[in-house]
Amino acid sequence: MIVPQLVFWVMAVIAVLGSVGVVASHQPIRSVLSLVAVMLALSVIFLELSAQFVFAVQVIVYAGAVMVLFLFVVALLGPARERPSRRLRFHSGLSILVALGFGALLYTLFNGVGFRAPDAGQIVGSVEQIGYGLFTRYLYPFELTSLLLLVAAVGAIYLSRGGRTASEIHRLEEDERA
Amino acid sequence: MPDYGQITVGAGSLDVRLVLGLAAVLFVMGAVGVLIRHNPIVILVCIELMLNAANLTLVAFSAQLHNLEGQLFTLMTMVVAAAEAVVGLAILVDIFRVRDVDDVDELSDLKG
Repeated sequence: MIVPQLVFWVMAVIAVLGSVGVVASHQPIRSVLSLVAVMLALSVIFLELSAQFVFAVQVIVYAGAVMVLFLFVVALLGPARERPSRRLRFHSGLSILVALGFGALLYTLFNGVGFRAPDAGQIVGSVEQIGYGLFTRYLYPFELTSLLLLVAAVGAIYLSRGGRTASEIHRLEEDERA
Repeated sequence: MPDYGQITVGAGSLDVRLVLGLAAVLFVMGAVGVLIRHNPIVILVCIELMLNAANLTLVAFSAQLHNLEGQLFTLMTMVVAAAEAVVGLAILVDIFRVRDVDDVDELSDLKG
């Protein structure tokens, strides 16, 4: 059957094109939307790799919630000006060196890497299996992540509480001068 | 010796090396974005891209080894990524409230 490979290749092409869009877009909003495309393509690959729950979480939490947060901030801050890139010394030489190193890594991945035998039994990645793992063996790490989320929420509220905006500061300085 | 790199997917199979190669390409694209872009929001987006590539690696090995721990770790990574995005964006909003930034290299006030 060729279908799994066909699905993988289509999603891989979408993901790589999306990542090019993330890096090369001039507008931040296009970067964010390209990342949404990458995440949706990756979620299909997760589903292919029998990770059903991770697929659902990727679509709902990641592509849904986190990316909407990014979109909110991009819309809040308005269109960004970005200084054009400066070229380093030895720019092209360094680029070729990095590309060669990465190519060598990919070559060894496809030619020299062996894999150990898989464990016995099949996994499905269903909610039941994931929940069993999270609430038995990995209970303490799971509870620690909730602590992490709490700290992040408190930190975000502290950081984004009301303060003076740039225009207010500007007006205050004008008043002092006057 | 059998090739353990083939993952059974439904009626067919998929080579785990392809998945790992895709993850490597996505990770490098994210790293390149972090290095060459100046906009702080785009840099955060590129970090998310790198985290997603790492997640793909974890899920690929989870499927190859028939071991659920990779998927559990992926869920933990998603929590950390969400926390990172929330705090990073809050810091950015706080900075942009005071002044406009068109290059992260300008944000060097904390340098000792």
